[in-house]
Amino acid sequence: MSATDTGGRVSRFGSAVAEGWTRERFGLLGAVALVLVAFAPPFQVYLFTDFLVVALFALGFNLLYGYTGLLSFGHGLFYAGGAYGIAIVLRDLGPVIADVVGAGISPLVTFVLGGVVGLVLVVLVAVPVGWLSVRLEEIYFALITLAFGMLGYSLIIQDPAGLTNGTDGVIVLLGTVDLGGFSLRIGGRRIYYAISAVTVVAAVYGVWRVVNSPFGTVCKAIRESPDRAAALGIDVGHHRWMTFIVSAAVVGIAGVLRAGLASVASPGLTHWSTSAIAVIATVIGGATYFYGPIVGAFIFLYIRWAISRFPALEAYWELFFGALLIAVVLFFKQGAVGGLLLLRDRLFGDGGGGGGGALDDGQASTAADDGAESGDDNVRADRGDNS
Amino acid sequence: MSLTSLVPLIGIADVVIGLSLGSRLFLIAVGLSLIFGVLGVLNFAHGGFYMLGAYFTLAVVSNVVDNFWIAVVVGALAVGVVGAAIEFSAIRRLYDRVDSDLDQLIVTFGFVLVIHETVRFVWGSGSYSIDPPDVFNFSVALGGSTFNAYRLVVIGLAVGVLVALWLFITRTYFGSLVRGTSSDREMAAMLGVDVPRLYTGVFFLGSVLAGLGGALSAPLQSTSPALGDQVIIDAFIVVVIGGLGSMSGAFVGAMLIGMMQSLGPQFISAGSIAIPFLAMVIVLLIRPEGLFGGIGE
Amino acid sequence: MYVIDPHIYVGSDTHGRLLTMVTEDSDTGNKYKQADAAETSSGSRSPVGRRRFLQAAGAGAAVGLAGCSGGGGGDGGPVTLGAAYILSGFASLYGEEAERGIDFAVSEINDNGGIDGRDVEVIVRDTEASGDTAIQQIRSLVQEDNVDGLFGLDSSGVAQAVAPQISQLQMPFMITHAATPFVTSPQGEHEDSVGNEYVFRDSNSLAQDIYGAARVAENLDATEWATIGPDYAFGYETWDYFQAYCDGLGVEAEFTAEQFPALETSDYTPFISSILDADPDAVLTPLWGADLTTFIGQAESAGWFDQIDHTLFSVGMGTDYPSDGSPLPEGEYASTRYDPFVPDTEANNSFREAYYEEYESLPTYNAEGAYRALYLYKEAIESAGSTEPDALVDEFTGMEHSGPVGDYQFSETNQATVASIWGTVTYDEEWESNVLDPVNRYEAGPDVLSEALGDSDLPAGI
Repeated sequence: MSATDTGGRVSRFGSAVAEGWTRERFGLLGAVALVLVAFAPPFQVYLFTDFLVVALFALGFNLLYGYTGLLSFGHGLFYAGGAYGIAIVLRDLGPVIADVVGAGISPLVTFVLGGVVGLVLVVLVAVPVGWLSVRLEEIYFALITLAFGMLGYSLIIQDPAGLTNGTDGVIVLLGTVDLGGFSLRIGGRRIYYAISAVTVVAAVYGVWRVVNSPFGTVCKAIRESPDRAAALGIDVGHHRWMTFIVSAAVVGIAGVLRAGLASVASPGLTHWSTSAIAVIATVIGGATYFYGPIVGAFIFLYIRWAISRFPALEAYWELFFGALLIAVVLFFKQGAVGGLLLLRDRLFGDGGGGGGGALDDGQASTAADDGAESGDDNVRADRGDNS
Repeated sequence: MSLTSLVPLIGIADVVIGLSLGSRLFLIAVGLSLIFGVLGVLNFAHGGFYMLGAYFTLAVVSNVVDNFWIAVVVGALAVGVVGAAIEFSAIRRLYDRVDSDLDQLIVTFGFVLVIHETVRFVWGSGSYSIDPPDVFNFSVALGGSTFNAYRLVVIGLAVGVLVALWLFITRTYFGSLVRGTSSDREMAAMLGVDVPRLYTGVFFLGSVLAGLGGALSAPLQSTSPALGDQVIIDAFIVVVIGGLGSMSGAFVGAMLIGMMQSLGPQFISAGSIAIPFLAMVIVLLIRPEGLFGGIGE
Repeated sequence: MYVIDPHIYVGSDTHGRLLTMVTEDSDTGNKYKQADAAETSSGSRSPVGRRRFLQAAGAGAAVGLAGCSGGGGGDGGPVTLGAAYILSGFASLYGEEAERGIDFAVSEINDNGGIDGRDVEVIVRDTEASGDTAIQQIRSLVQEDNVDGLFGLDSSGVAQAVAPQISQLQMPFMITHAATPFVTSPQGEHEDSVGNEYVFRDSNSLAQDIYGAARVAENLDATEWATIGPDYAFGYETWDYFQAYCDGLGVEAEFTAEQFPALETSDYTPFISSILDADPDAVLTPLWGADLTTFIGQAESAGWFDQIDHTLFSVGMGTDYPSDGSPLPEGEYASTRYDPFVPDTEANNSFREAYYEEYESLPTYNAEGAYRALYLYKEAIESAGSTEPDALVDEFTGMEHSGPVGDYQFSETNQATVASIWGTVTYDEEWESNVLDPVNRYEAGPDVLSEALGDSDLPAGI
């Protein structure tokens, strides 16, 4: 009896989700959550900001990996590009800008300008690097992006132009806006969180639009079969190049935010081990889903933080992620998001196909759509290979 | 500040040091290249195998038997066992996937983290060093500078490994199976080759070579958990320049990078550590199959 | 909220040390972590580890009884300090030495009435020698563990990244090792200056240390000088200051070769060979941690010490005492930030004796610097009658203090006016260890340094 009772409740909840949880409500809920985080204890605000930045980094990376099938081991280059762009502007142009716009508002102007410069710098680097890299595929693409990333690392360390301050990196001081009695410290935990949250949400929305545009559809077609796409008259190389640039730009925005958060733009950002963070977060979250990298970044940072609460384990957190990475690739490539969707299907299984469609007009619609789509495609592809 | 007296002086010692650095790179790169050539797997964890070779050797010398050469052999074989176990338990599951290359890369990257942390757990994060075996532990003075005689031994062994591998691949039955399978796996399987076993065998061999490189290098460098990450990138450069799958390419590429590492400090100029990566990019773009041919060449 | 560090010996080699720290969570006072402690220490073969475990378990019980004061802010609750050192990687030896100094001071202070009657506890975190990690750890110490004060830091690069954050966190930070002069040079003095009112240093700075190196160079029969240092701020600053001092002091010196290998280089041979080819008379090297040990071994086998007349190790004594790798070669010159024999005072002698009895090695400067930081906090808190950060900053500012290292005062820029100590590396049978003998102390106050820096635009950082 109690079993049927529970079942009934679950199905009622399921239908409530199906009927009532519209995209608007999900959006509202998310916005409320983001606002609430701003009132959390300072360290939690910091941790959440960190999560947002890494999530954007991974999301940008996955635009290339998840949507065109190109695995980059050098996206740290663009992460660092954004960070160094803003760091160098803050260091070298801060005083100049203060002269022009006045000392009070100049930290804000410098910050915005630095962000723009960082982004432009990343695009300028990504255009030729992408153009060259997309000529290669699979392992060779991974290797050439790795080489480009490490090339950037070497140049930042050796600092031939005298801009990057070698191994020590460039310290980022964000300053305080001061307007006649009203003062605002840009680097303050909550202020910086607000800036990051707005930027990341806007960037995620932008990526979502790109993915769901005709351009995004073409990308997915290319991922499934480059040859078939080419046969349909799609310029595969061009599409990959464009995706590369957009992907780099998104990562660049994350890099700009990272510089302010870490207070330093350091060469380690372009080392392959940083590029690997995007790979880890994306694979764990589920590369075939739009929200996979975001969920993966959440898992990455919060599990890492949880592990750090057990100092005996703290030194070995990489072991955990190494093992998790292996397990996900071997046994459950859909990752965490795939797991959540599977769980949902189990819970609301009585809805059958309707369960899958339940969230179609919900906030997670893209995840469900893409998930179902690419998940199926994956299976199909595997079968195709076996036969 | 005057740097005028920094006029490059290439001594014989610099060349010997460069060749010995190249030798250790060859041993890791040739295994990496062999595995890629036959299995199509780019093994990110190969630097970890190299590092394990050094640790195993040090562990055997200090805990089991105080004979360097026995420790080297045991260490290298133990790494082979680790490699074969990884191939058998994890990588094997991925051969039939459609995007298997990238999945394999990611899985082997997972093992990079696992090996690194396991080493730290077992041996701590400090660094170890060991003297070369007594017989060879003396300085050779040539042309005004000195080097340790053990470096010559390492160079000699690397050349020996190259020759032995070449004979093994071109002159033995197992070698012909390897060559055949690397050029056409389906055909080999149809002709009755036990492909899975062959793959495990090749992965074992490649891992042994990396372990051997680490073991032989233990007296020439400090062994710490950072070692694997440092050396894998050099190995990637070597195999790309030499050609993924090419043994002679791995040798030439390794010697090239070894000489650059040795002579690099003599030519202080901005951007010099960037050169190998630039070379890697250029080779990938112009001749992705490397400067030298495929397997067995 | 305490730290224990049972050393578990894996295998027979002392390198195979695992440093395990158990930190009580201040918010929950969780007990399960004590179970962890029991587990880890049961694997310990070290009597030290055992003793510390017992002591720590006692402290844990005390926290439980006090009903968790939520950060030790209340009266009667413990004073909690946060420390950040390198506990893993190539320089983990420094963190271990600092922890010894901390443990030593904590038990001394708590056995003698604590700080104003309150026990003191220290939470030690690992910076992994990375500025990024250090900032996160320090932020967590302040915002999660609500510590009353901070100290530590082993690397100049890390210190330079951390210093601006400290002024934002508004919490006093007593640097006990990291040597870059720019953290005690007020922001704006030089483009790299990041000094501010919250950052202090109780150990000598690179500017003080290298002043001594130039004074040593003054008396050596060497004109051609070279350096081999780590590829970051510390390596470059050492060389810059050395050249500036030689210039300012009128030392007849030419600077003929410089090599800056990356940190954690496993094979220095090419760099060694390059210096040997340049054939200088003397070399100043600020290599440190395991890098120094690796370098010395490889330099020895390359015939370095036969060919180069004088090698000056500016961080040499930091790892020499406890190192079981290659020790510093006798007859070369080394500096230290603290000498266990000089000054020959009651404070120094009793510290050395008690420390040696406990750990069977002479105290390194990193142990002494960390040890002294606790006493500095004790004095400041007792004198201020509170643990308010700004009150502590006021107390530290211009404070006169005395410890094993001698008498000193905090300068206008919050730098301790400790001496520069250089000497000749000599093996001492009695202590079964290298010591500096003869050893010279060069007074290195603000006036001395600015004069010696001559026309250079480098800040004295004091």
